[in-house]
Amino acid sequence: MDFSLDPADEAFRDEVRQFLREKLPADIAERSRRGYHPLLADVQAWTRIVYDHGWPGPNWPAEWGGCGWTHLRQFIFEEECALAGAPQLDVASFRMFGPLIMTFGSDALKNRYRDPILRGETCWGQGFSEPNAGSDLGALTTRAVREGDEYVINGRKIWTTNAHVANVLCVLARTNPESRRGFSMIIVDPKAPGVTIRPIIDIGEGHSLNETIFEDVRTPVDNLIGEEGQGWHYAKSLLDNERASSAEIPANKFNLMKLRQMAQRKRGDGTRLIDDPGFAARLARLEIDLQALEFLTLRALTEKAGGTRLPVGSLLKVRGSELFQKTGEMQLEALGDYVSYAYPPPEQSPHGIAAWPPGPAFAPGVVADFMYRRATTIYGGANEVQRQIIARSFLEL
Amino acid sequence: MSSASALLEPRTAVPAEDALERYRLDARAWLAEHAPRFSGAVRRGLPLERDVALGRAWQALKAAHGYGAITLPKRYGGGGGTELQKIVFTEEELRYDLPVAYFSISLSNPVPIFLRHAPETFRQRLGPPAIRGEHIWCQLFSEPAAGSDLAALRLRAERQGDGWVLNGQKLWTSWAQIAQWGVIVTRTDPDVPKHAGLTYFFLDMRSPGISVRPIRRLVGHPDLNEVYFDNVYVPDEQRLGEVGGGFRVAIETLMIERYGITDETASSPALEALVELARRARLNGRPALADGEVRAAIARAYVERQGLRSIQKRAMEAIAAGREPGPEGAIRKLLLGRMRQQLGALALDLMGADGIRLDPQGESSRDFAHAWLDPSVRIAGGTDEVLLNTLAERVLGLPQDHRPDKGVPFRQLES
Amino acid sequence: MSSSDAEEALCQIRDQVARLQHRYATPERLKALLDQTVGFDRALWQAAVEQGQPAIAVPEHAGGMGMGWPGLAALMEEVGKAVVSLPLIATPVVAEALLASDDEAPAARYLAPLVSGELIACVAFAEPGQTSPLQRPELACSGDTLNGSKAAAAFAAVADLALVHADADGASQLMLVPLDQPGVTRRTQPGLDNARAHAALQFRDAKAYPLLRGDAAIGKIMARVALATAFEQIGGASACLACARGYALERKAFGQPIGRFQAIKHKLVDMYWRIEIARGCALDALDALEGGNPLWPALAAAARLAAIEAYDFAARENIQTHGAMGVTWEAMPHHYYRRARCLALELGSTQAWREYLLAEAGFDAAAA
Ligand SMILES: Cc1cc2nc3c(=O)[nH]c(=O)nc-3n(C[C@H](O)[C@H](O)[C@H](O)COP(=O)(O)OP(=O)(O)OC[C@H]3O[C@@H](n4cnc5c(N)ncnc54)[C@H](O)[C@@H]3O)c2cc1C
Ligand SMILES: Cc1cc2nc3c(=O)[nH]c(=O)nc-3n(C[C@H](O)[C@H](O)[C@H](O)COP(=O)(O)OP(=O)(O)OC[C@H]3O[C@@H](n4cnc5c(N)ncnc54)[C@H](O)[C@@H]3O)c2cc1C
Repeated sequence: MDFSLDPADEAFRDEVRQFLREKLPADIAERSRRGYHPLLADVQAWTRIVYDHGWPGPNWPAEWGGCGWTHLRQFIFEEECALAGAPQLDVASFRMFGPLIMTFGSDALKNRYRDPILRGETCWGQGFSEPNAGSDLGALTTRAVREGDEYVINGRKIWTTNAHVANVLCVLARTNPESRRGFSMIIVDPKAPGVTIRPIIDIGEGHSLNETIFEDVRTPVDNLIGEEGQGWHYAKSLLDNERASSAEIPANKFNLMKLRQMAQRKRGDGTRLIDDPGFAARLARLEIDLQALEFLTLRALTEKAGGTRLPVGSLLKVRGSELFQKTGEMQLEALGDYVSYAYPPPEQSPHGIAAWPPGPAFAPGVVADFMYRRATTIYGGANEVQRQIIARSFLEL
Repeated sequence: MSSASALLEPRTAVPAEDALERYRLDARAWLAEHAPRFSGAVRRGLPLERDVALGRAWQALKAAHGYGAITLPKRYGGGGGTELQKIVFTEEELRYDLPVAYFSISLSNPVPIFLRHAPETFRQRLGPPAIRGEHIWCQLFSEPAAGSDLAALRLRAERQGDGWVLNGQKLWTSWAQIAQWGVIVTRTDPDVPKHAGLTYFFLDMRSPGISVRPIRRLVGHPDLNEVYFDNVYVPDEQRLGEVGGGFRVAIETLMIERYGITDETASSPALEALVELARRARLNGRPALADGEVRAAIARAYVERQGLRSIQKRAMEAIAAGREPGPEGAIRKLLLGRMRQQLGALALDLMGADGIRLDPQGESSRDFAHAWLDPSVRIAGGTDEVLLNTLAERVLGLPQDHRPDKGVPFRQLES
Repeated sequence: MSSSDAEEALCQIRDQVARLQHRYATPERLKALLDQTVGFDRALWQAAVEQGQPAIAVPEHAGGMGMGWPGLAALMEEVGKAVVSLPLIATPVVAEALLASDDEAPAARYLAPLVSGELIACVAFAEPGQTSPLQRPELACSGDTLNGSKAAAAFAAVADLALVHADADGASQLMLVPLDQPGVTRRTQPGLDNARAHAALQFRDAKAYPLLRGDAAIGKIMARVALATAFEQIGGASACLACARGYALERKAFGQPIGRFQAIKHKLVDMYWRIEIARGCALDALDALEGGNPLWPALAAAARLAAIEAYDFAARENIQTHGAMGVTWEAMPHHYYRRARCLALELGSTQAWREYLLAEAGFDAAAA
């Protein structure tokens, strides 16, 4: 494979760089430089900037109203954005629910969501997991019963990321109690009567997770995505997309770049961590892992275009999430004793982003990630289960 | 002696136990007097038959002095001693490179189980020559379709008159080619669930119908064989345990050596040899011992060895006090096997291009290439994965894996 | 004490401590501690003092209970299991240093109130920006006066006395600093694990008592702290294993307990063997310390390395075993996860102790 860019793509890269130099708001970039996750508002504002620049949906095909870029150009765009500290376009909108609707949804749904997604105005809540249906999603018990031209939904969802700020919920519910996989995917308005959203505080004391309870919630049958009873099939394709995104190549790349910079910093006693051969060797191993993952992603993107049925997403998810954790662990090591400080996110700090606690500039996000990082091998399907899927599908075990 | 090597001496000695310490000193003196004639240079380049003969002579000498089978009863030629004495003696004996491998299975499992369950006349006839090393016993358990899952074995034994006729194949039988006797597990009833239809025998390896074929291993070890049974007759009086009770006897056989020591390197060069190598090898113009990654590997190996030594020491103390040792002893084989492979690979790295050479005369306990090349410690006597399962179930009380074969008559599983 | 008496006394310690923790180590109390910048459970400390816990390892002739390091080890293992945080290690270490010192004045003044639990001590060796507390300190000491700083140390926010090491004309000097004086500033910051009551210390012409002198003596002090901490880590790691096991038996997926899947079974055994290796190292180090084996510092370093590895691994994989439940504030696994990392950092990193081990075990010496 030849990975050198041809002149037209090189020129494209330059164009993206210039765009970023001119249009990326400084506070957003600063926030990522500190290592914090972008705020939802920042993601939405940034999506709008990209849209207004004449780039609606950089990772969407032209027939969906997107830019229609090649995979390579999409990749270049994402990579440049990540290295510049721009937020990633919302995965749930652009990679999960958007494509689902554009592929399987009715024309009415397509028309309803296309432009808001492209402009960065949607925030989706994924109502799949339940207290007794996590890895074993097939065990879910939420019911949707058709009454006239409405579905009546009852059940309890859990771990619904962003439900409290979402303007759309997508619920996987059982519509046919007779069939083992008789599920359907239905859109629900989070403000609809009967929806109760309760916060779940995470180990970093942050709030993104929720418990979402549905009591006789009514939603029009027009809100059914695709066909009734096909929800399992849709969920699988959506989850595979979610997992493929969780390889998080751009974020991993950014993290690793930061780790390299941290390790090159002179410490109090005048030494540099990068000069410790043991550390350098481990860093090199991560760089190699990243390279391999990047090629795998590119290959997956090309093969996906050719219509493979293999769950590449599982493979990317396992490798990507573990790389993410390993890089984070080495960042902690590189921080030395600043690790013992906690750094509240800037929006919670009375001093805002201007007055940081002690330690180097990158310290805050690294420490915040110490807690959050554990979740990456769990969400989108726990890694143990992904390994089972890989064994079954790729190795035919 | 440098401080390091003092620390690294095996420290299984139980304080307070003067008698045991005396036993150790006696054994050490006895070995110093006799072992040199049977070990080291004397053995270099010997063909198998001559080395086995040397081994038999050594075994006979040990037996004459009560060291032949320390824990087996005196009336059959054993030492009538304790588990601890055996461990102490073996520790001392391991310092020499003696031809003991041929007896390691024989006297550890088949002979002890035979002496527990066989009729007295057989015990009197066959016990003493086995302990003197005239007879070697082999263990015919594994088959092509039955390794970890021993109960899946197929070798058939069918009633005929006062005995049984055996047909089928055994695999991986260590030292079958030099064995006079063997213990074997057979299938006597395929119509009951697989564990229930097994029966256990001991048999004469020179019985008509047995043929032994060698299996070539990664390195030159001449131990493994496949053994074919073509209408081999075994009298019923050579049955050990009940008809259909063979699985229990087989497990009992495997449990006999529970606290047996494998030496603390699993027959690979000691950590000190790796340190020495790292001191000589150069990396970026400095001794490899100065390299962080090498240092981390050495420290990790040191820590693991230290933990295992302590566990071993406490197990010995428990045995000495008449208590059951803790279950943690079972992690030993798991860790040693992996460590042997990891340190072997690291050592080869440090040798650079020389690492690809393989000395045909080499031996795993002295030569990293051989230690690395042969991973059988991780397979024989229960694979790593099976050990993890056993620990999870027995020690942590986690449930058994899903077992689709449970309760199903063996015949239905065979297809 | 005969060995069976000693056994029984250790059992009693375990029992008493376990009962105490039943009352104090409730999820609500533990979570509340994390929410303060300086989380310290005074009521629990008072209860521990009433039981005489600070005195356990202090020799009888110095007013202690004389149960030595085995007593402290048993105590710390229970402390670790319950993820509570108590300044119990520093007291016997300071007592030891006071008793070994030529100057009798500080012993006369501080020994009794330390042993009774009236005063709290902390150990502050690490310095800001330094990778290893085992290297020569930059904190400067001239006679009885200290200038410089120490990085965040456990319990420094609530302690009355700090044991520090300082540079006195090129030699390491152990100093005992009363913290309640104008020359000492404590800086607190919210941290990964606020229940450790961390504070960084700054000394400006602070007065202190010189105790022992020399790198070797100070290395041994640290090795003692490391050994006692190893037991706390082992306790914590064992609690993670128990917690993961409980969840694996109770949580069902695909119609069976998740503890039936090998991915989970083998994960738990991987916790188990790491814990047993750490316990083996720690018990051996303890025997060596008690038996006067000069190699005990190497064994203590091995115990520390093994305990760091065991606790980090067990805490991390306990979260993983719990699935999404493991990343909630409500559930207990994150307390162990935080504690595991803090205990690994407080006395110097794995790298620092690896170097100490290789040096003490003689691998480097023989290279010369
Ligand atoms: C931060 C975060 C955000 C999330 N966001 C959402 C969301 O927006 N919407 C949504 O619907 N869900 C969401 N989830 C839920 C997520 O999909 C589930 O947590 C995940 O599928 C695992 O399910 P569980 O938590 O119930 O774990 P369990 O299924 O209970 O698993 C517990 C443990 O058992 C193991 N295990 C289970 N089955 C097997 C098996 N067959 N073989 C081997 N090991 C097994 C698992 O690997 C895990 O270690 C989120 C989770 C997290 C952590
Ligand atoms: C040097 C040597 C000497 C030997 N000597 C003798 C001897 O004298 N007599 C004798 O009877 N046998 C002998 N054996 C055979 C030995 O007992 C078997 O090799 C061993 O039990 C494993 O069986 P197997 O080789 O058939 O592997 P299999 O059982 O086929 O295993 C293949 C792989 O599957 C894994 N596996 C199997 N079951 C499970 C499970 N439930 N969960 C997870 N993983 C699993 C294993 O760990 C292994 O990695 C010897 C073997 C060796 C290497």
